[in-house]
Amino acid sequence: MSFLGALLRHGSGRIGACVIAVFAVAAILGLTGLTPHDPLAQDRLARLQAPGATYWMGTDLFGRDILSRLMVGIGQSFAVALLSVGLATVVGTVLGLTAAWFEKLWDGAVMRAMDVLLSFPAILLALLIVAIHGPGIDTSIVAIAIVYTPIFTRVVRGPALSLKTRSFVDAARTFGSSRRYILTRHLLTNLVAPLTVQITLALAWALLTEAALSFLGLGTQPPSPSLGLMLSDSRNLMETAPWMLIFPAVVIMLAVLGFNLLGDALRDVFDPRTRRALG
Amino acid sequence: MNYVLRRLLMFPLVMLGVSVFVFVAIRLVPGDAITAMLGTESGLLTPAQRESLAAYFGLDQNWVVQYGRWLIGLLQGDLGLSVTYGQPVSQIIMERFPLTLELALLSMLIALLIGLPAGVFAATRVERPSDLVVRIFAMIGQSTPNFVLALLAIYVLSVGFGTLPTMGRFVPLTEDPLGNLAQLILPALALGTAFAAAVTRISRAAMLDILGEDYVRTARSKGFSQSYVIWRHALPNALIPVVTLSGVEFGYLLGGAVIVEQIFALPGLGRVVLDAILQRDYALVQGVVLFIAFNFLVVNLIVDLAYAALDPRIRYGES
Amino acid sequence: MTIARTLVSAVAIGAAGIAAPLGAQTLNVAWSQDATGLDPHTQTAFASIRLLELLYEPLVRLGPNLEIQPAIAESWEFSDDATTLTFRLDPEATFHDGSPVTAADVKASFERILDEATGASARANYTSITGIETPDEHTVVFQLDGPNVPILNGMGSINAAIVPASAIEAGTVGTEIMGSGPFTLEQRTPNANASLSVYEDWHGGGIAYDGIEVSILPDETAILASLRAGQADFALLNDPLVATLVPRADGLELNTAPTLSYHVLQLNASRAPMGELKVRQAISCALDRQDILDAALLGEGEVTGPLTSPAYRNDPSTLFCYEQDQDRARQLLTEAGYADGFSATIMAANGEPPTAAAEAQLIQSQLAEIGIDLSIEMQEMNVYVDSWLAGDFDMAVALNGGRADPYTMYNRYWTKDGNLQNVANYIDDTLDSLMQEGRVETDEAARKEIFAEFERHLAEMAPWVWLYTGYTYTAQRDGVEGFEATPTGSLFGLVDVTLSE
Repeated sequence: MSFLGALLRHGSGRIGACVIAVFAVAAILGLTGLTPHDPLAQDRLARLQAPGATYWMGTDLFGRDILSRLMVGIGQSFAVALLSVGLATVVGTVLGLTAAWFEKLWDGAVMRAMDVLLSFPAILLALLIVAIHGPGIDTSIVAIAIVYTPIFTRVVRGPALSLKTRSFVDAARTFGSSRRYILTRHLLTNLVAPLTVQITLALAWALLTEAALSFLGLGTQPPSPSLGLMLSDSRNLMETAPWMLIFPAVVIMLAVLGFNLLGDALRDVFDPRTRRALG
Repeated sequence: MNYVLRRLLMFPLVMLGVSVFVFVAIRLVPGDAITAMLGTESGLLTPAQRESLAAYFGLDQNWVVQYGRWLIGLLQGDLGLSVTYGQPVSQIIMERFPLTLELALLSMLIALLIGLPAGVFAATRVERPSDLVVRIFAMIGQSTPNFVLALLAIYVLSVGFGTLPTMGRFVPLTEDPLGNLAQLILPALALGTAFAAAVTRISRAAMLDILGEDYVRTARSKGFSQSYVIWRHALPNALIPVVTLSGVEFGYLLGGAVIVEQIFALPGLGRVVLDAILQRDYALVQGVVLFIAFNFLVVNLIVDLAYAALDPRIRYGES
Repeated sequence: MTIARTLVSAVAIGAAGIAAPLGAQTLNVAWSQDATGLDPHTQTAFASIRLLELLYEPLVRLGPNLEIQPAIAESWEFSDDATTLTFRLDPEATFHDGSPVTAADVKASFERILDEATGASARANYTSITGIETPDEHTVVFQLDGPNVPILNGMGSINAAIVPASAIEAGTVGTEIMGSGPFTLEQRTPNANASLSVYEDWHGGGIAYDGIEVSILPDETAILASLRAGQADFALLNDPLVATLVPRADGLELNTAPTLSYHVLQLNASRAPMGELKVRQAISCALDRQDILDAALLGEGEVTGPLTSPAYRNDPSTLFCYEQDQDRARQLLTEAGYADGFSATIMAANGEPPTAAAEAQLIQSQLAEIGIDLSIEMQEMNVYVDSWLAGDFDMAVALNGGRADPYTMYNRYWTKDGNLQNVANYIDDTLDSLMQEGRVETDEAARKEIFAEFERHLAEMAPWVWLYTGYTYTAQRDGVEGFEATPTGSLFGLVDVTLSE
């Protein structure tokens, strides 16, 4: 496929894709139970053990293997990120498209509602939603989706408005195509590029938001491993067990980095004009 | 002018939306100020005690009445009384906001001082090794969450230097400027790093765009020196997206940095609002959130207007 | 409306800040939670109590080992049948405005506590008072409805503080601090700081410094940092993970005392299968209490039975299944008809105590070994409280408060009309009658035996599985001498502190 080829020829795209691929493998291994140790098993005799032959990245306060927990944690974080961004994309696209299509009152209502959501700092909005529904993975997904829906709505609405006035849509309309057909065929296909870029970047933010929520104890619940929770557990132990801090910190950083690199590369591939600029 | 007018008209509408949203949201959170304050001991309250507490906290009225009262107060400039602090919400905001503002300004300063020169530098050496180094750093900087950076900073400081940042009692700028700076520098760095990375990337991109434009090429072909072209022509134009980005980021920072404030134990707006949610201090949550949203919208409005003023080429569509 | 006034008071007091004179010796103190109000009779939060103990005084006070010591009263005695209790007041005791503390103030204070409209938190502890007589200015006689020995201990609480009769009449208790304690409150900004000055005419004697500056630092690591940086001289710590770092820092010293409050696994006997005695006993046998203590609290505490007061505490190894015995646990489960185990949820509050999540995970892991499959529900404090009060849980990890007297501590749970019976969800005749016996027994040794029996029975019935008590931690920098830690976490010992430098 030429698109994938173009992406892989792109320097940062290649690196980003590699990082994400490595994490994806770790995540799949983690979620299917193929970890070096049981991520939940507590080894009483190996509490707070430094990285070594048995536990490559050391153990936590309960004697659980950090590496295995990281693998599952990545899996959970990726799952939350994918599902929440997926949800935000669908809802945001529908809202953006309909707002652009019907304009008038509906457009005003939708866009003002999005303005309201956007005027909250992301983490604060997520916090409120989690507080209402109680912490958990499902709540995190919904909360993160709500936080990032306005961005997708805006991303879709702008181009949709201008595309709508373009001649091919007019032509389709005069030929009697149904509204739904025009919306999906013509508008949506032209929105694939900006949406793909936005989705990749939103995945990076979603990872961060999930980690932040878990860090505050409002995301994934123990004993399930989560990157944010592992970081927050390390807070009071970082002097005695620095590996509890460093490995999760590096993993979060690399995962976000991977999505950012991929997002940039995608933008370049879709829009070669910016290639030199942002690469 | 039509655009400005429309934006100004939308402003109260969005604020009204925010007020309704936060009012309903905080009341949907289970529990109330009574259980938050007394914990399991609230089980020992008699019905009469519970009633009088509910009346005090204003929990005995229905939502419409509560909202109406709050809105009327708001229109008179009264944000209400915080039940946990026993102080007017406006007073709490005014006590905490200077810290948040200072932190936001400091982060922006760091971001611009690092990001702008780095971006311009990279743009003038595009595709050379030094450009690559800048870009790699910018990418890493942008991908490091501020709370991870904050934790790492504390770790490096405590293990490497056997000390900890002066957390705890906040030292106001007016009391001890140096102590204040020592206290805020790490949190500002944690918040400013990703910001600086973003500034680097956007200023580099903008510089490249402009250096490729006709009028810059013309200037260059007329024999003006490279640095003259950069400083006189390219940079002022490249500043437009930087201003936009900085404005938006600054608007977010004014909302307080919940986690970084938590990690460094700084009493800013982010901490206040988190505590207020946990304490079910309705008036405080509502007041602070409204204040944050107001700042954000004002900053964005200014950014938009500045953008329109700086770049006459921009023609606005509907919003 | 008492809390309403309390809150308003915070504003009034905040406005009247007074700067300490130059050269004054100030003790800088840091702790993590602020008082929720200032009315000594209605406050229950530990954070409020430790501040109020510096401002107000009860008739008697509990010492470092919870022995009863004089406070406003210089002496006291029970009548032979333990139905009247007479106090002689210290004639030197004065309120902060200089007026003497009289028998009339004591009478008015207890009448306020007993008045249901006040909403006094410890009212139930004093309801056996049927009459209060004041034969002279410095003598108070309490008539009791029957022999009631625990009441003397109960009077050692700041919830029974003596306030001026005039303040009660004026309705200013809680809005204006008018106590007889060693310090006066000069200024307070809720959730930020407070300034206390030494009350020069305090009848308890002189204090070696001039005042206390309290900083509220919600983050425990921040408290440690401010100790290290010399910003705080003395601090109260809750998180053992942070406390154990104190001795590693140069120039800092840690004080510990076992707490009265206890970490416990509450089983809900009103739900299947925890209603089965053998299931509860199996859970008790399956747990390795010392191991949970070692991991969750880094060993910072002591395994305990239900009784945690120093005078009543027994060697827990004699109690039912205090040694982990998984075979016995499995056998008990099989006998109860749950050979393959069962599933249940375990509820814990997020961050309250800080060890709750760790305890839940350790219990989950240990019970999994006998086939009990627990799912953990971490709840935000408010949600937890609602579920806890409604008895809406299978199992709950809790840190429950303790009292010096076992009767006062447990009558809310383990008597038939205890007002938290629906939280305890278990009661039997033995428990109820032992509690009633303990209430009326005046002989110390006999009381001890009654409560030891109560404890044995409670551990064997295992409605809850008592785990351990932690330590209260205080820390100070070198040069701060003379503080004695107590099981209640009281900071009253600050009056004996000297500052060098």
